[in-house]
Amino acid sequence: MEELLSVKYDVVSGDFIRGGEASSNLKKLLNQLGVRSDIVKRICVACYEAEMNIVIHSVGGYIEAKIYNDKIEITAYDYGPGIPNIELAMQEGYSTASDVAREMGFGGGMGLPNIKRSSDEFYIKSEVGKFTEIKIIIYFN
Amino acid sequence: MKQLFHSVALISEKCIGCTKCMMNCPVEAIRVKGGKAVIYNEKCIDCGECIKVCPYGAHISIKNSLDDIQRYKKKIAIPSVTLYSQFGKNVEPDVINEGLLKLGFDEVFDITFSCDIASETLKKDLERVEKPAISTLCPTVVRLVETEYPSLVGHLVKMLTPIEISALIIREKYKEMGYKNEDVGIFFLTPCPSWVTKISEISKNENIRINGAIPISDIYPKLLKHIKGRADDKNSFISRTGLMWAYSGGQCEAIGIENSISVDGIKNVIKVLNDVENGRLDDIDYIEAMACPNGCLGGLLLVENPYNAERITKNLNSKIDFTYKIHDFSDIESKLVSDEESSEHRDTQKISTNFESAVKMIKSMNKIINMLPGTDCGLCGSPSCKAFAEDVAKGLASLKDCKFLNEGGFNNEG
Repeated sequence: MEELLSVKYDVVSGDFIRGGEASSNLKKLLNQLGVRSDIVKRICVACYEAEMNIVIHSVGGYIEAKIYNDKIEITAYDYGPGIPNIELAMQEGYSTASDVAREMGFGGGMGLPNIKRSSDEFYIKSEVGKFTEIKIIIYFN
Repeated sequence: MKQLFHSVALISEKCIGCTKCMMNCPVEAIRVKGGKAVIYNEKCIDCGECIKVCPYGAHISIKNSLDDIQRYKKKIAIPSVTLYSQFGKNVEPDVINEGLLKLGFDEVFDITFSCDIASETLKKDLERVEKPAISTLCPTVVRLVETEYPSLVGHLVKMLTPIEISALIIREKYKEMGYKNEDVGIFFLTPCPSWVTKISEISKNENIRINGAIPISDIYPKLLKHIKGRADDKNSFISRTGLMWAYSGGQCEAIGIENSISVDGIKNVIKVLNDVENGRLDDIDYIEAMACPNGCLGGLLLVENPYNAERITKNLNSKIDFTYKIHDFSDIESKLVSDEESSEHRDTQKISTNFESAVKMIKSMNKIINMLPGTDCGLCGSPSCKAFAEDVAKGLASLKDCKFLNEGGFNNEG
C-alpha cells in the first residue's frame, strides 16, 4: 500500500540546539492528523532518540516519516561512521557518546533500546564507514 | 465543540489591528481579521500575554467587582496567598485581612490552611500519576497541556487546588450552620485572569462553587486606605509553608520534593513540556510549572513586582514559625482528588475529524507553504506563514490575504 503522506527532515551532526526539531515537527503533524495521544507520545520518544543519535554519533543524516492509513514508518538514516557491533550497541547502558554529550545528559546508552521499546517493529542496518539505518513502525491502533 | 468561556476579551473599538498580540501569543490563538484582533476561543489558554503586550489597552480581563458581593447574605473572601506580599514587608497578614472585613466581607478564609492540605494530598498524588508528575495549580498550564500536549494529560496531578479546597471547606461549614448554598457568596481575590476562567468552570460543581473573582489590583487602592499607618508587630496566625505556594519553587520547598523542576514563564514551560514529551525527563518526580514569571507572584493582576514580592513573602516567612499540622483530613480526603474527566482533550490541533481528509488538508497546506515567502510578517492576519497555510487549508483565510503573493513578490505563483 502506498503511503498517504511523507515528510523528510535533515539532521545536522553536533547541533544540540536544533536537535529535536524533526520530532517536534512530526509531533505537530500527528496531532493535526488526530492520531491518538498515547501513540503520539511513543512516536515522539522513538523519533527524538533516533534524531539525537544522529546528532550525537554521526556525521549527519535525515529522518523520514511515511504515514499510512494504519501506521507510521520512520527511517533514521545517517552517513556514518556506522556501528561495528550492533548487538553490543543494543545493550542498555552501552554507549560511545563523547564526554560533552554525556554531561548534557545524552548518551546514557539508552537510545537504541528505548527506540526499540517504543516501537512495534524495529530494524537496524549498519556498515562501518558508510551508514546506519534504523527503521521503525508504530501502528495507530 | 462546546462553547468555552474565557476571561481574556477584546474591546474592539480600542483595537487598531497592530498584530502585536497575535505575534506574542504563545499558542497562536489570535488572528487579525478586518483590522481587528480575533481570539480563537478553543485555542486560548488564558495566559494573559495579549493583555500585557497590547499598547492600546484593547485586551482586558473579565472580572467581578466588590459590588457583586452584595448579592449574598454571607460574603466570604478567599485571598490568594500573593495578596500578603503586596503591601511591603511591615504589613502583617492579619492587618490586611481586617482591611478586607472593612471592605464588606463577613469572613476572610485563611488559604494557607488549604495550601497545607494540598501539600499533603500532593505528596500522595506523586505516586498516582505518570512520572514526571505535573502541577495543576496554574490553570493556564493545565489548559496548555490539554490543548497542546494531550499525551501528557496523564501526568497532571489530581489534587484539588488550594482555592477549590477552600471553597469546599467554606461550603460545608456554612451548610452545617444552616445556610442555603445560594446565600453564601464566595469570592476569590485573584492575581491573574486565568483563575477567572477556572472559577467559571468549577462553579458547575455546587460543592466547590466560587461566585466570582475580584482582581487584587482592583481592590488594592481601597485596601490600602484601611492598611495605611497600621504597622503591627504581632505575628499573624498564618502558615509558613502555605505562604510558600506564592512563588516559583515554593510548592517543592513546602513539600520537600528535591528531585523536581520549578519552571516559570509560559515560554519556558513550553520548552520543559517538549522535553517531557520526548521522554527526556522521565526520572524526575515533579514539575512545578507556572505560566507567569516567578509563579503566582508574577500574576498580571498584582501591583508589586514579582521579585520584590518574593522578598516580602520570604521576609514574612522568616518571622513565622507556624504550619498547620494536617494529621487527619480523611473526612474530606475523598473529595480532595479531582474527579473531573481528565481525558477532556480539546483536540484543538486536529484539523479534521476524518483521517483521510486531514491528510488531504495537510497536503494542500504543504503546497501553500511552498508558495509563501516564509518571512512570517503577519500582514495577512496570521502569526506565521505556516499558520496562514493552515488557516487557508481550513478555509479560515484566503490566499488573497498574503501581500507577497498579490503584490508581485513572487513569480512562481500563477
